[in-house]
Amino acid sequence: MDDLPFQKITISGPTLSALMHRITTSLGDVDGLLFGHVTHLTPSTLTDDNTPQNPDSNLIATITSFFCPNIPLSFYDSLGRVDSVTLHRLVSSTTHQSNSSSSSSNFLGWFSARRKSPIRPSMREFCVSQSLSRLKTAAKGEKDLNPCVFLLFTTPVQGELLYHTHEYRAYQFRVNSRCFDPKSIGIDNIGPDFRGNYGCFSPNSPFPELKCASAMNDEVGEGLNRMERVLNDQKELDMVAEGFSVKDLGKLMGSETVNSTMSLEDLYEKMLGKLDSLARQVEKSNAKVLDMENHNRKLRYKIARPVPE
Amino acid sequence: MSYDGFPPFISAHLQYLLNHYPHTIQIEQARSGTRYFPGSLDRFTLLIPYCLDYMKWDVIYNAEFPLAAPDVIFGAEDEDFHPFHVPCGEDGDSRLVKNSLTDWNNKDPTRLLALVTELRDKYRSYQEKRVGEVDDDRLKFEISTIVSREKRLLYRYFVVTAFLCTIGISFLHVTETPVIVLQGIEMHMSSGVEKPEEVKFAVPLMNMNINKMVPACPWIHPQKIYLQVIYPVGRKYASVPSAPRLKLMCTPELKALFSIDDVKLPSWLDGMCMAEYLPHLEELLQRQVLEAVTLIDVRRQFIEALAPLLGRPLEADPVFCRKASYLVCSGPFTFMLHVFLSTNFPKQQPSLMFQSTQHFNSLGMPVKSPLITEYPWSPRWETSQMADRISDFLVDESLNFKRHCNESHLQH
Repeated sequence: MDDLPFQKITISGPTLSALMHRITTSLGDVDGLLFGHVTHLTPSTLTDDNTPQNPDSNLIATITSFFCPNIPLSFYDSLGRVDSVTLHRLVSSTTHQSNSSSSSSNFLGWFSARRKSPIRPSMREFCVSQSLSRLKTAAKGEKDLNPCVFLLFTTPVQGELLYHTHEYRAYQFRVNSRCFDPKSIGIDNIGPDFRGNYGCFSPNSPFPELKCASAMNDEVGEGLNRMERVLNDQKELDMVAEGFSVKDLGKLMGSETVNSTMSLEDLYEKMLGKLDSLARQVEKSNAKVLDMENHNRKLRYKIARPVPE
Repeated sequence: MSYDGFPPFISAHLQYLLNHYPHTIQIEQARSGTRYFPGSLDRFTLLIPYCLDYMKWDVIYNAEFPLAAPDVIFGAEDEDFHPFHVPCGEDGDSRLVKNSLTDWNNKDPTRLLALVTELRDKYRSYQEKRVGEVDDDRLKFEISTIVSREKRLLYRYFVVTAFLCTIGISFLHVTETPVIVLQGIEMHMSSGVEKPEEVKFAVPLMNMNINKMVPACPWIHPQKIYLQVIYPVGRKYASVPSAPRLKLMCTPELKALFSIDDVKLPSWLDGMCMAEYLPHLEELLQRQVLEAVTLIDVRRQFIEALAPLLGRPLEADPVFCRKASYLVCSGPFTFMLHVFLSTNFPKQQPSLMFQSTQHFNSLGMPVKSPLITEYPWSPRWETSQMADRISDFLVDESLNFKRHCNESHLQH
């Protein structure tokens, strides 16, 4: 996929709103990395019209997550030259975090958000995109995909922000012609209109594969070994549900399936409980991050203050 | 221009830029990109003169991260302009690139000026390259001849300065001229979906320093006259290329001395080229500018000639002598007389205006007469006679003005 044009760039509704929330609550201008996947649409050209179609334009880039370092010039310098070491660190930590099977979160490109400025790529944004596209072609990564997506967010230069708060545009950076190619953005939401998009959906956090399920009914012989395995599995299960015992998983299948609805509901409830406790943790750590951010800001102002003459 | 609202480091950069840039630069639409301090301005639009027009470039600082270098957004029609892009295949060398952004230091107030200057230079070469790529025979010819003309002028300048140096005339005295000469021709290629393709040249005319010719000259920037030449890009099937559109333009302050709109441009003959056209025009302009400079003295003499009749002027423009105000008495009625002299004086008679010192309108402003431009006048009169005739005219007209004042006074 050297320099093939995308038909369009899509982003899921929740990702876009999370991104927008991040941008509006940021102190100043921010930028960050975009992750997602590229899908190849099977062309449904079973119509009578003979208009020649570009076979390459069936690619759709879907943005599913992002990473925002919250400081400017985090993975590039003032000239827009990408620092490959930092970038690699950011990309690998993010892709590792979200999913080990990296098929659903490739590094797609980056975004830039700046308030009260014209909605066209700036001098540095061009350089960063160019530098990014070159980096990957040179390294020929395993996916062989250029991180060529660029999302630009601005707020209007003039006027009140009462009605019109954000503008955004998507571009694909074309390596050969060295220019930004504007692309339309599709927003994938839940609902019957988007059913077509569900086909290429893959969950970000699948239920862990637990080997013990089959071992449940094993002979009691290797007691210690089995205990250890159960403990391990319990640990993994605790990552997705709170307080659901591995032993109870057995109730979801086999002879004890009579009450399976009850058990399943119990499992869901405990998974929701896990989410709830995670949200609480996030809230607490966010407060800490905010404190540290404020502290850092004061330090920054201190440094930037002109030297008294 | 006030720098209120900008963080100290940005305001230092701006102040240095505005005070040291060789042309007038303007700042528009200062705004803030911070969330919590909307009063802390950190982005603005710069209006930078280029090719007799302004380029609007947005400079984006980040008040939250003062150490970060600013970014620039160019005009919408310049999306192909990438000044700091490193050509492909030179990745290894990209670390060695050095320019005004590479080692940014926000505490150094000269940095913004260096950045703007570098970017403008690069923009100029970008436009020159674009114009050079236009496939039009006449344009190619014009560019080649005009560039050689420019080189010749430069060469002549260096020969003269070298000569002056050898005979011992201080070099410092002459160094102000090269700034003007070296600015050279600027070109711009305009193209758009709706606009026809055109190439615009801004040709600086006359190798003379007008600032030096005016005694006690108040101008900070060198004043210059330019010829704007716009060539429509030729269609291949047109047999005779159409004449370019010509317009004289000048730096704004020059208008106090010389009215560019009154110059009648020599006509452009079929098949003519710029190298043929320019010498005539320059000769014509040179004569007119010299005449405009001598006219300052004529105006001064006239203002002085009025003094014995009306008394010393209360206020007078000492450099260009375009305006003088006298205090005049007609019996118990005292009023001020404002005399406005055009650059065409004495061909064009002065405009007069009365202003009462005793009558005020409902807003508390002194009562003024409309501009008076019709009264006996001949440019062939001696200066003293001109003054006499105006004085005579004042005797009658002051009575009219007094009546006018009293009437308007009664109404309130």
